[in-house]
Amino acid sequence: MLFLLPAILLVLVFRIFPLFWGFAISLTSATSTDPGQFIGAGNYLRALDDPNFRSAMANAVAVLLSVPIFVTIPMLLAILIHQGVPGRTFFRSVYFFPAILSSVIIGSIFSVVLSFNGNLNALLNLAGISGVDWLGHSATALPVTLAIQCWSTFGMGVLIFLAGLSTVSKEMVEAARLDGAKMWQIWWHVIIPELRPIIEFSTVITTIGLLTSMFGLIYVLTGGGPGTATTVPEYLIWAAQGRLNRPAYAAAVSMVLFLMTSILAWLQIRILSRNANI
Amino acid sequence: MSGAGKRQRLALRIAAVPMGLLALSCLYPIFFAINNAFKTRDDYMRDRFGLATQPTFDNFVQAWSRAHLNEYFLNSVIATLGAVILLMVVSSMAGFALASLRFPYRRFLFAVILSSLMIPVQVVLVPFMRTMLALNLVNTHIGLILSYTAFFLPFSVYMMTAFYSGLPRELIEAARIDGAKLLQVWWHVMLPLGMPALVTLAILNTLSCWNDILISLLVMQKHRTLMVGISALKGQYSDQIPLFTSGIVIAAAPIVVLYILFQRRIVSGIAVGAVKG
Repeated sequence: MLFLLPAILLVLVFRIFPLFWGFAISLTSATSTDPGQFIGAGNYLRALDDPNFRSAMANAVAVLLSVPIFVTIPMLLAILIHQGVPGRTFFRSVYFFPAILSSVIIGSIFSVVLSFNGNLNALLNLAGISGVDWLGHSATALPVTLAIQCWSTFGMGVLIFLAGLSTVSKEMVEAARLDGAKMWQIWWHVIIPELRPIIEFSTVITTIGLLTSMFGLIYVLTGGGPGTATTVPEYLIWAAQGRLNRPAYAAAVSMVLFLMTSILAWLQIRILSRNANI
Repeated sequence: MSGAGKRQRLALRIAAVPMGLLALSCLYPIFFAINNAFKTRDDYMRDRFGLATQPTFDNFVQAWSRAHLNEYFLNSVIATLGAVILLMVVSSMAGFALASLRFPYRRFLFAVILSSLMIPVQVVLVPFMRTMLALNLVNTHIGLILSYTAFFLPFSVYMMTAFYSGLPRELIEAARIDGAKLLQVWWHVMLPLGMPALVTLAILNTLSCWNDILISLLVMQKHRTLMVGISALKGQYSDQIPLFTSGIVIAAAPIVVLYILFQRRIVSGIAVGAVKG
């Protein structure tokens, strides 16, 4: 029991107790110096009218809509590696490399490459195409940021799918091949259905990851801008607590984010327990 | 049958081309950073794509001392080392208790630790900052170490519990019959036995701590960690790309070394964590 104490204490003091405290703060008008008064749902109602919050939620929806891409690309690559594409050992280890670099490192490098007078535009200019201010333009900033996020995390997805593929029965694939099934038929009718638990699992953890681990990239690449083009909920929380000095409001946005991630976590637990029952 | 096999092999060979390009794209950014870090500012202006023909270490020297990366590097090393060691100790103790000892509410406490996985730092940002202020932990290394430990702990506890559950119970029984106290059992038996899992966890946690930005941005406002320092550098030296990229290389170097040395362990650790949830 005593052995468990440090772990329990750390988790309680820094995570579980703050969760309840945060909910309490979200119901007040607190600032960084003044505890404020109880204002009920005031902060939540204010959020509904706040353009920053609205665009953060709209951006979150855009981010969520990109989840299928984040799941499909690693799945296809993993199946190809599993099927014995030439150079697979090399691919396997290299794909994983961006995933271990800090989002700060990745963001820094891409901010140089993608800046208006950066390398990509210099290349495009050579080809006679005029450059685009990739990160300074509100139409391209979010898609480009998402593309970088996808590029930097797909290796992790490949690993997860490869781990799942090792459980797909070789006999079934071989039997289908002997029956004269074409490659895409084997993929579609044999491999992908067998991967279903992994697809579900990967979808949930990718979604949670997109909602809670893009801060570093956004902080370095765009600072949430231009305007609010790349402000997602987690970034708005940080900005509201610090720069905007509206901690109670930040706490309310935190609760909204918590609601979103808990629904996903609930799904994850359901998937895991259902798979365990099979 | 052999016809279909041949066609499949051809299809795979064709697929290898875009896959190879993708692989190159994974290596290009770090190559870009290293290559430009060795150029002078004028070299970079003249030819940004070419190889650094007359490599210079000037940028590294400048970034290390004038841009204070030496200071930031030290802060990151202290925080990462401290947190990794603390994580090993705390998760090994917790894993030992949860896997091998019998006490009331064991399952409930395990669930409490795991449930905190659902509470990332963004969700408790404001009260977390207030807790840190109240405990006088802001701008201290110990504060950052404790924060990292708290936020990276659940996964480590889960891994250690799973690992210790797989060990035969007789090991502990034998040690206890010899009259050893629980603390001795943990120190002399469980800690050495847990080393394979603990080393994997140490590597994975080193990646998480070293790469973190949000927690260190919150806790270490005065004594920057390397990642906070690099993101500040970006604004300051935006017209001195070679200097900036040398900073990136310094910040990424320890991780790249870890990747080269322990690639297999990192891969298997993540795969295990992913599949078991």
